[in-house]
Amino acid sequence: MHACFATRYVAAVGLVAFAVLLGAVPKASAEDVTIEVWSHEADEPAKVAFRELAVKNFEKSHPGTKVKITWYEKNPLGAALKTALPAGKGPDVFYVEPDQTEYITAGYIVPLDDLVNWNNIEPWARKVWTHNGKTYGIPQEAYTVELYYNKDLLKKLGVALPPNAQFTQAQFLDLVKKARAAGMTPISQGVGDRPYPGAYITVEALLRKLGPDDYQKLFTGKLSFADPRVVEVLKWVKELADAGAYPKNFMTLKLGESHYYFYSKPGALMLPMGSFYTGRAFVPEDKGGQPQTFPLGIMQFPAMDRGACNECKTSTIGASFAINAASKQKKLAGEFLDAMSTPAMGKMWIETVYLQTGIKADVKNFSGPYAAYFTELMERQKGEKYFIGQPRDMVTGECKDAFAQVVNSGFPGGLLSVDQTVQMMNKACFKA
Amino acid sequence: MRILDRPSLPAAPDPASAMIDARRAHLGILVAFLAPALLVYAGFTLYPVIRTFYNAFHTIRPQGVVEFVGLDNFATLLFADPTFWKAVANTAWFTIVATTVDVIGGLLLALCLFARAPLAPLLRVVWFTPVLMSYVVVGIIWVWMYDYDWGLANAALRWLGLSAFEQSWLGHPSTALWSVLVAHEWKWLGFNMIVFLAALHALPGEVLGAAELDNCGWFAKLVYIIAPMLRTTIVNLLVLSFIGKMMVFDLIWVMTGGGPLWSTETVSTYVYKRAFEWNTFDLGYPSAIAVLWFVIILAFVAIVMRVLRQRDRLEF
Repeated sequence: MHACFATRYVAAVGLVAFAVLLGAVPKASAEDVTIEVWSHEADEPAKVAFRELAVKNFEKSHPGTKVKITWYEKNPLGAALKTALPAGKGPDVFYVEPDQTEYITAGYIVPLDDLVNWNNIEPWARKVWTHNGKTYGIPQEAYTVELYYNKDLLKKLGVALPPNAQFTQAQFLDLVKKARAAGMTPISQGVGDRPYPGAYITVEALLRKLGPDDYQKLFTGKLSFADPRVVEVLKWVKELADAGAYPKNFMTLKLGESHYYFYSKPGALMLPMGSFYTGRAFVPEDKGGQPQTFPLGIMQFPAMDRGACNECKTSTIGASFAINAASKQKKLAGEFLDAMSTPAMGKMWIETVYLQTGIKADVKNFSGPYAAYFTELMERQKGEKYFIGQPRDMVTGECKDAFAQVVNSGFPGGLLSVDQTVQMMNKACFKA
Repeated sequence: MRILDRPSLPAAPDPASAMIDARRAHLGILVAFLAPALLVYAGFTLYPVIRTFYNAFHTIRPQGVVEFVGLDNFATLLFADPTFWKAVANTAWFTIVATTVDVIGGLLLALCLFARAPLAPLLRVVWFTPVLMSYVVVGIIWVWMYDYDWGLANAALRWLGLSAFEQSWLGHPSTALWSVLVAHEWKWLGFNMIVFLAALHALPGEVLGAAELDNCGWFAKLVYIIAPMLRTTIVNLLVLSFIGKMMVFDLIWVMTGGGPLWSTETVSTYVYKRAFEWNTFDLGYPSAIAVLWFVIILAFVAIVMRVLRQRDRLEF
């Protein structure tokens, strides 16, 4: 009798433990609706504040609906999405960038054409996300690739910026040599945590030398890296690298550190960077931001000899948001994307993130501590022909890996000759 | 005959103790208690392993479309993927050197403490502390130490007047793998040291005492007495270390990401890149790499065990 009771008791305990382990958790009540969002850029306070304000506005206008943002670093976000999406799981809305076209080809994100209000989005920005006539992402962040410089250091070298703010390639090489001779680091740049910044000088030179069409062909495998114009550009970049253009810790310097290296310690003459530079630089100095008095200037990337398009400039879309094809609340998710993309939010983006946006925003006059910066940034856009997209948006697979290792890192880092670079890139990218 | 001297008879089974004794428990009870653990094991270990083997023979297309490709993934891997072979070479080199240093270095540190060297208690803490740190933290610390401009390594060289030897330690293919290896050893030597130290303390004191009475020198004692008695520990650590190094990922990922120019690419970092960074959802090819590597590790472990096996029972 006693044993029988004990047996039943133990079995019952075991079954309860089993049931708990199986996940007998309380169900949410029927009226609770939560939009799950996975976002990158937790380390940029202005962007966090922007998205949290959008959540607040949305929850206010949609009583009973909650938005839960989970913040990720970029690489873990990609890894989490790549396992969640094929399993039909994942958030309703997630952060995505235009080079992640695999989500579109795989059918893991839905066309947004009928889900969001496109009247609030710049048509050129929408175009970046348009594939086969359908639009898949809301372009929130837009940026141009700029060549920032320290005005005081340039003056110290006795060099004046040409009226069009663009040196020739020979003048630029001289500038690098002069800076190095004066004990300055000519270009602050590092590839410690990103697969693209080390390539800025090379690819911007290629864009100007080849013009948009051949430039696109080069990174889509239709033009050889052995093309004489490409080789000419590579030889010039090699001269820059050999002249000591980059910091000695180029290989390990991280993106954020390269910003700090430029405007603080030890300081550098130039910094080629997307205009998203402001996201980290325009924060209080005690949080690692650029000093208020820093003499920041913007010059054009150098003009190439016999360049096909020396007025060309790279513009692209960065932070964007897409809706998971497996989401059960696509309409609501679309409304949340709308809440992030109103003209008022666009204005707020520019005024607080200090960066361009794909959202239509009526900001004609800039005020505040960074007004001069924005005026100069707009000045540098005048008369430019934009090439929308970057090589990393165009390359995939083995070519993407080779781009990161060779054009981004090994070649500017002085580890490869021009011939080796041509050979390695052609092997990985050129589909003759 | 006193009652205590009687040969003991098997006691009649007590129903309550039968319930506790797993060998005599009711099947239902066994199932109830084992099922949760077995389910977790099946879900998080067995299924992923089986699925990886399955994927290796398929191309996984989006939306659950799976295409059988037979041995194609393995053929590409073996005959048309130079990056894989680069990764294999790096991993093999890392494994051989790191395993050797791990075991020999750990033994030497343990002997140093066993011999009650000055400051031994402090040294034990200092040497063991890195083991408690995560690879990410260790990686970040060592990236700073190796920084060209403000890193400790180059600062020390400058201080010693050896500026000519300054290096971008992680930025050059010829030094990057070695630099990661040093960081790895800094973290792991303490673990092997503690295991060896425990084994040394468990050695029979009378044997060591007898050796001393026979005027056996320290080197002879180490080679002819201590090392043979530590054989099981050495073999266990060798195998464990070997397996760990063949799968090295975290430290390399944090410190170099496989660069520069694939000079620190290991099989594990390559699998990750192929799975998550190649703009594709195809887990077939990376699974093929994982399966092939699993088989290679298994084969090597079997060989090591066969070569080193005596009557020792390995415990891992």
